[in-house]
This record gives sequence, structure tokens and C-alpha cells, in this order.
Amino acid sequence: MADRYAAAAELVAEAVGSDADGWDLAGRLPDDVLRRLAAHGVLCPGVSAEFGGLGFTAAELGEFTAYVGSRCSSLRSLMTSQGMVAWAVRRFGEQHQQATYLRRLTSGTLAAVAFSEPRAGSDLAAMTTRITLTGDRVEVSGSKVWVTGAAYADLLLVFGQHADGAAAVLVPADAPGVRVTRVADPMGCRAAGHADVELDGVTLAAADGVLLAAGLPLDWLITSVLTHGRLSVAWGCVGILRACLAAATTHAQAREQFGKPLAEHQLVARHLAELLVAEQASTRMCEHASRCWDNGSPQQVTAAVAAKHFAATQAARGAAAAVQVLASAGARDGHVVARAYRDAKLMEIIEGSSEISQLLLARHARELWT
Amino acid sequence: MSTSTAPIEAHEISNNLVEFIARQTKKTVTAEVDLFGTGLVSSLFAMQLVAYVESTFGVAVQGPDLKLANFRSVAAITELVLRLREGNGG
Repeated sequence: MADRYAAAAELVAEAVGSDADGWDLAGRLPDDVLRRLAAHGVLCPGVSAEFGGLGFTAAELGEFTAYVGSRCSSLRSLMTSQGMVAWAVRRFGEQHQQATYLRRLTSGTLAAVAFSEPRAGSDLAAMTTRITLTGDRVEVSGSKVWVTGAAYADLLLVFGQHADGAAAVLVPADAPGVRVTRVADPMGCRAAGHADVELDGVTLAAADGVLLAAGLPLDWLITSVLTHGRLSVAWGCVGILRACLAAATTHAQAREQFGKPLAEHQLVARHLAELLVAEQASTRMCEHASRCWDNGSPQQVTAAVAAKHFAATQAARGAAAAVQVLASAGARDGHVVARAYRDAKLMEIIEGSSEISQLLLARHARELWT
Repeated sequence: MSTSTAPIEAHEISNNLVEFIARQTKKTVTAEVDLFGTGLVSSLFAMQLVAYVESTFGVAVQGPDLKLANFRSVAAITELVLRLREGNGG
């Protein structure tokens, strides 16, 4: 296992090199880089070996996600999407669907998850996308927005209303009736290929095993997939904090003002201390949530919300502090701390905003403590 | 997910689930009460319940088995667990 982990990390190190700054400025990741990583199963390393995956435990997947997040949050965002699709197939798919799609997801196919709609963001229950099963045909119609990775994806996991409940459907991005339009100039994770997706009477053969979880209540379906995504985002935020720590400490040690290193100026030193604590506390929250996942503990759902909320808040604050420490040295787009500053802010919004997370956690607190 | 084949009676499963729900939600339910229709438990809890059932009774609830009808009440979950354990050879 250690070998697989080291090999995957090396693949990412080689693929990213010193290019993350350029990808951020260009707003794109090179296609060949993504394909190579996807073909090695590196974008969803939690998939088990029986389906061609690397078989990482949640704990290993977490550390790996943090590593990717420390190098490039756009790439980490794509991992989060690929991982959510793989998990949805694993959780809700029948055996033949798992065999087909998990193999594809670990051998080069890129996938994205379509939740949000123009009128259904935090209130996902308001989504109006319809998935209809007629005979042996599945029809999908609706509008999705801000779909991470959709600009690169071969496969879109689209959530919608279905019969008395909900369903998810695996839509090939090149199916007739699918239109993918890049979001212009996203503020953060700029190279993550965010796009709006129009589905206009898209018709697929049900025999292809494209329909997942037909009839399950929407919130069940979404909660399960989002839990996987939140854990991934939380670890990604740990990665952001680690990148900020490395940049801030290195700069504060090397740069001298008033005859001594910045790190010896107390107000700067405090930033470094707070960053250190933020990284450690976020890591512990994530480790706990991943352990809950690995143990199949019922606490995994709320632990993932808590970890995501905490780590995203810490990453946003920590990245702002890192920009402050580097000052003009980091204040240009593309720079690692400038990216962290913009990327971390999006992490307070995605996969359940801080406020939605707080609502969920408040309810959990009432259930637990009254 | 480990699978257990040690025999377990329906009433043991049922009692275990009632205790778990009481522990998690501070609410006492009967085996027949509709857990979701009445807003008794949240959607977050639904996924916790699925995870609990899998880890406690050594079953994997996947694909077509993962539907609301199988989790609507303690009685329905008990039936599901017994059926899945039978499939495990227990």
C-alpha cells in the first residue's frame, strides 16, 4: 500500500511540477496531464483494487487529497468530483454498474457531479431537473450551474427529480442535447473547469446502466454523495494550509526588515503560530472524520460537515494571513498564497456553505446535547 | 465490510435499532412507526442509520436494496437485515 501511495504522490509531483501558477493564470489544466492522472486511477484512489483502483483507505485518501491540495486546488477539486462520482456508483449502483463505471473511472474517464441549478443552490430540494424512465429509455431535462470539472468531463453525474423521489443519471458529455458552457473567470480554483450544463431532452438507453438510486429521497442521495465530497474538500483545505505554512515560514525566515528576519517581529510571528495551529487542528478534525468513514461509524456524516466547515474557515483565514506575511512578494495572481487566498474563499461556499454547515451542526448539537 | 454469519433473532435486531435511534435522536419509537414520513429524523440521520445497519449487522446495503421502503420503520429494516444476512449464508 505504501508503494502505491508513494507512486501516486510521485505521479502528481511530476504532473504538477512548477506549473500550478501557470494553470491558475491560464484558467486551464492541460488535457494530457489530466488524462494521464485519470488513467492511473489517481483522481479517485479510494476505489478498491477489484475495480482497478488504488484501494486507499479513507485515511490514506485524506492525506493524499491534502497533498494534491497543497500543490494545486484546481486539480484537487477535480479529484473531489471524480471521487464523488465513484462513490455514488459504489453506493447506489448495482453490481454490473459498479463493474462498468468504476473501471472506467480508474482508467482514464473524467467525471463531474451536477447538483446546483439556477434556482437551487443551498436549497437543493428545489431542483427541477427531471429524470424520466419510459420503457427502456431514460430522459433527462434541466439546467445545472457551476459544475466543477464539467469542461473536461466525459461523464456527468446529473441529479434530478424522478417519480416519487429522486435519481442520478450518468450522462455522456457528448450525448445529443448536452451543452457545456465554461463559467467565465471563476474567482478561485480557476483551472477546475467549472461549467454550466444544459440538458435538453437527453435520451439514453437504460440498458447501459446509467440510472442510479431511482426513487430514493433526494436528500438521502445528496447527503451520501456530499459527505464524500465534504471530506475531500476538508482535506483539500488542510493542503491549502500546508502550502501557506511552507510559503509564509520560508519567506518570514529569509526576508529581513529593520535588521532582523520578519519571523522575529512579534506580530509576524503570531501569524506563523496561528497558521501552525490551524493546520494541526484542521488535520485532527479531518483524521477523525476519515476514521469514522473507515469504521463505517454513523458519526461520519456530521463529522464530515464539522471537518469541512472548520477546515474551510481556517484555510480562508490562514491564506489571508499568509498573503499578509508575504505582502508584495505574494500579491500577484498565480502565486501560491494568492491562489490559496482565492481558492480557500470558494471552499467556504462549495459542498454546503459555512452557513448551511452551521445549520446542520446546530441541529446535530440539539439532538446530541438536549 | 466484514460479514457476520452468527445467528441473530429478529427481536434482537429490532431492539438494537430502537436503542440506537433513542441514543441518537432522544426519541423512543415502536417497530412500526414511520421514521421519515413524520419528520421524526433528519436526512443526515438517514445516512447515519444506513452506516449503522451495515457496520452493526455485517451487511452491505447497495443498489436496489438502498431504498426508502427498506428503512421506513424498524420493522422494515429488521426484515432487510434478515434477508441480507440470509444471502451471506447465515
